[in-house]
This record gives sequence, C-alpha cells and structure tokens, in this order.
Amino acid sequence: MTLDLMNEKGTPAAQQLMSWKELAGKPISKLDDDAFTRVRIILMNGLELDSLRTKQVALRMNRDARVELAELMRAEHQQATAINWLIGADHSPLETTIAYEQVAIEVTASVAQLEPDAYLAQAYRYALLEDFDHLYRYSALLDRLEGKDANNIVQGYTDIVPARPTVVHHRAPEHDLLRPYERNAALATKLHALTLTGGEYQTHDYYMTIGPLFADPLARQLYAEIASVEAQHITHYGSMINPDESPLERLLVGEACEIWNYAACLEQETHPRIKALWERFLDYELGHFQVALRLFKDIERRDPAEVLAQTQLPPRIEFRGHREFLRETIARETALRKDGTEFVEEGKEGRTSLEYRDQVNADGSPSSAVSETYSWAPGTELARPDLAA
Amino acid sequence: MEPTLLGHNRTGSGLNPGDTQLMLAAVSELSPPGRISTRQSDAERISYITDADSLGSIPPPLGASPGASVETASSLTGVSPTVFFDKLGERIAFERGSTRLYEALIAKYVALVDSDGAGLETLQRIRSEELDHFRMLCDVATQLGADPTAETPSGDVIGTASMGLLQVVTDPRTTLAQCLNAVLTAELTDNAGWELLTELARAAGQDEVAERFAEALADEEEHEAIVTAWLKSLVTDAVGTPAV
Repeated sequence: MTLDLMNEKGTPAAQQLMSWKELAGKPISKLDDDAFTRVRIILMNGLELDSLRTKQVALRMNRDARVELAELMRAEHQQATAINWLIGADHSPLETTIAYEQVAIEVTASVAQLEPDAYLAQAYRYALLEDFDHLYRYSALLDRLEGKDANNIVQGYTDIVPARPTVVHHRAPEHDLLRPYERNAALATKLHALTLTGGEYQTHDYYMTIGPLFADPLARQLYAEIASVEAQHITHYGSMINPDESPLERLLVGEACEIWNYAACLEQETHPRIKALWERFLDYELGHFQVALRLFKDIERRDPAEVLAQTQLPPRIEFRGHREFLRETIARETALRKDGTEFVEEGKEGRTSLEYRDQVNADGSPSSAVSETYSWAPGTELARPDLAA
Repeated sequence: MEPTLLGHNRTGSGLNPGDTQLMLAAVSELSPPGRISTRQSDAERISYITDADSLGSIPPPLGASPGASVETASSLTGVSPTVFFDKLGERIAFERGSTRLYEALIAKYVALVDSDGAGLETLQRIRSEELDHFRMLCDVATQLGADPTAETPSGDVIGTASMGLLQVVTDPRTTLAQCLNAVLTAELTDNAGWELLTELARAAGQDEVAERFAEALADEEEHEAIVTAWLKSLVTDAVGTPAV
C-alpha cells in the first residue's frame, strides 16, 4: 500500500464521531483470534493515548490552534476507546500484562531491525532485552498465582525465558537518557521513537492502574518493580526525540506516525472485523494529518518538507515472531549496561545506578523471588514431565 | 495479624444519622424515589447477548487433519465430543488453579496458625491430590486425543469465576476462616464438576476413565467435608484468635 501523505485527504474530522455502543463493541476472542491481532490492538491503543498526550501539550502552548486540537482530541479519544474495548473481560489483568509484554518484545524487535541509525537501533535492542525478561517474570507469576499458562496468550510466537535480569534494570535517572536524533533525521527514525514511547507509556500506566488491584503481596511488589522499569523506558525512548522540535512539529510527525502504524495493521490484519476498523481509522488519521499540515503551515509558517524529509512512508513494522533475532540479541547483548547515554560492558556501568539499585533492592528482588527456579513448560510448570510421581 | 474485633468501622449510614437525614433530604428534592425499573439496562444487555460472539472454540483432536471438527475427528460416542472436551478442559484449569489456591492457603495457615502439625499435613495432602487430579486429567486428555494445554471456553470461564476466590486467599489481611469460606466455594463447585464429568465419561462408554474420575470425586467429597468442618470449628471454637 502506497500512501502519499500530502495528497491523501482521508475522512474529514467532522465525520468521525461514534456512538457509545460503537465504542463498546464486540471484543476479540482470547482463545481463537491470533495473538498478533491482540498485539496490534494494544499497540494502537498506546499510540492513540500518546497522540492525546501530544495534543494536550500542544493545546497548552498554541493559542491559535486550540479549537482544531480540541476537535482532533475528541476523535483520537474515541478511537482509543473503540480499540481498547476490544480486549475481552476474560483476560485477567495478568494475562493482559503478558500480552502487553509480547507487544513490547515483538514490536521493538521489528523496529530494532528497521531503524537506520545504528546507535538508536542499539537502544531498541537494549530495552527489548528488558521487556523480554519481564515476560518471563510475569509468566512465572501467572503460573504460580493463577495456575495459568502464559502460552495461552503468546501462542508459541514468543519464547518465555530470562534475558537481562529485571533485578539489574534499575538505573539512576541520568543513565536512562539517550542522545536524541538530529533534526534532519530520517522520517523512519522519528516514527520509531514515537511509536515506542507511546507503547511504553501505555504499559507503564496500565501497570500503575492494575498493580494495586492484586491482593497477593508479591504481585503488588512485582508490578511496582516493573512499572518503575517501564517509567525508565518512557525516558529511554522519549529522550530519543529531538527536544528542539516544536509542539506543532511533533503533532505533524505524530499524525504521520499513526498513519504509518494503521497502514501496517491494515496490511497484516487477519481478522476481517478488526481489519475494517484499521481501514476506517487509517482514513481518520489521514484526515487528522491534513489538519496538522494546515496548522503547521499557517501558524508556524514552515515548510512541512523540512520536518518530514520525505512524504512516502518508510517500511512498516512486521507483526510476527522475531525468535531468531531475539535469540541472537540475547546471546550478544544481555551483559550490556548503561553509562549516561552510552552502552557499556557490565563492569563499566554508571556508579550511581549501582547505588540506586542497592537502595531499591535492599529488601529483596520481587522479580527474582517470583521466578525462583521457574522454567516455562506447556500447560504450566505443574505439568512438567520430569515432575511426574 | 489481629483477630476480627469490634472497632471503628465507618461504612454504615447508622453511624452518622444526621448526615444520612441530610442525604435523604437531598434525594427527596433532587431525585425523589419512584417505581424501580431496570428496563433500559435489561434491554441493552439482552441486545449485546443476542449479538455476541462466543468466547471461543474447542481445538480439533491432536493429529486430526487440518480443518477437522472435534465432532467428526473424535472417536467418542454417546456424548458430544465438543461438550466432553470443553468440560475436561474446565476441570484441567480448575484442578491446576486449585493446586495454586491451596498453596496460598498453606502460606496463610503457616503464618497464622502453625508451621507444623496435623492441620498443615492435611492441607499439603489436599494440595497434592489436586495436583494428582490435574495430571491425571492431562493423561486422560492425551489418551483421548485432546491437547491438555489448550484453554477451552469452559476452562476460560472457570478461570474468570475463580478470580475472586484467589483474591480472598492471597490477601495478607484475610483470616484463615475467611479463606476457608472461599475455598469451600471452590470445593462445592469442584464436586459438582467432577460429578458431571464422571457422568459424561460413563455416557461415553469410557468406563476406565469414569472410574478414575469417580476416585477423584471421592477425594473432593472428603476435601469439602474437611473444609466445612474446619470452618465450622473455627467460627465456634476459635473466636478471638488471628485465624478468625
């Protein structure tokens, strides 16, 4: 599918409203639908929520764009609702958590392979190994608390094994930062950074909402621990973004980012009803892009070409299992650590991170405790053949 | 942990009669009570139910040709293979979950009562029997050509239904008696589930399988009796202790 951003008009914003019943539509099937349909749903909910965040900031900084931004936010909010409500209530919060980590793993793995900037590609692989480890820790909790198999959710696409251990993910804030991309960076680089920042934001907010709903004290500790890592990841990915971009510049790139992601979803979706939704929302976003384009030209008086660099969208995220890439990355890069904005060998990690870690791990490590001796097995560890009486 | 005692519970309207009168005055003025109707909500729910998709399906037997249905690919007769494998999946999910539920109950018992002794041994034995049932069910599923690791719709539903029980037993603030009450709900459901599954196995002519299920049912009847008696004993004889 070829999309020319400047010339696709999409659905006008005024024609985008949905009724409450449309927003609370039929959920997908946890049992029968493909895991990547759920991956796309979670990803796009994260992007919609982040687009609302971007627009709220722009609203506070642009007197002349307030009405248009308010209108766009109404549509984005409705899109986020329609998408997020597709997750059925038979997903326990912990099962949904497993799905969130699968999103983080498989989407980041694809982005890491698409990213043209070698330093940023390294940054994607770095955090990827942490989300990969989170899947293992949460899978242990799901098995041992609810007696459920995480593979009922990941459906064999994603391995459930440790990577860089969560207990060492905790860094002092200055070591979460990255060098931002340059203003003339490739459009792909900008889209990748926005996508991952939105995804991590959503994951963090989800864990912060559901963590206290658990009665089990170890679950509450684990969510507190991993939510903190996700907050670091928001900083990690958010600091890729050039801080000199104006809010309306970011709005323009943000709309391009939504278009790029909806196009990827539409191209690869196997569920007919959800595919139709992606097509509808792609048209909505093309309409939003036209509004953002107009605001950028009229208010900033700048040429969109200097921001977008190209108007043809770059190669899309591949929604599939990236098992081989992940295994190679685990084998090669699990021992990497951070020192400021740089990636270093294990023994050269920033000293303040070690001090910070000593403090937060002072009373023990929830992620280590919950997964003590854990090995994933089909049907949960209770079904392991070697444990037969 | 402290036992359940008289204290400063603030939830009842009887504690603040003055405020309650003011609230009722506001209601009288702004939303005066009339005939109770839930007609609109009922209609909306019925509309969703009519239009809903199912939770999911039963996978075809292992080794069946692609696209084969459970009904045609299974060798079971006398019962619907779909229903049988769905209920088998339900029991697999339930026994596995019960093993974890008893692990949580054992932690509660060790913390509040004793880290040794007959009570602990009983709980450990029950937990072990739940695990045995789970593994036996997996064997039966495999023997009949089903994938024991697949989550069936009824297995999914029983997982949803059990979430509240798990929340009770894993909450550090609940007493042993409160946890036993939750576990009793599980055991009553478990007994009914085994009775039904045993009947289905007999109807399918799977006598050897039905016999294994009947043995599990006998274990579960004993579990229910133990939990019922223990709960009764705690609330009559152990009032004022941390277990109650």
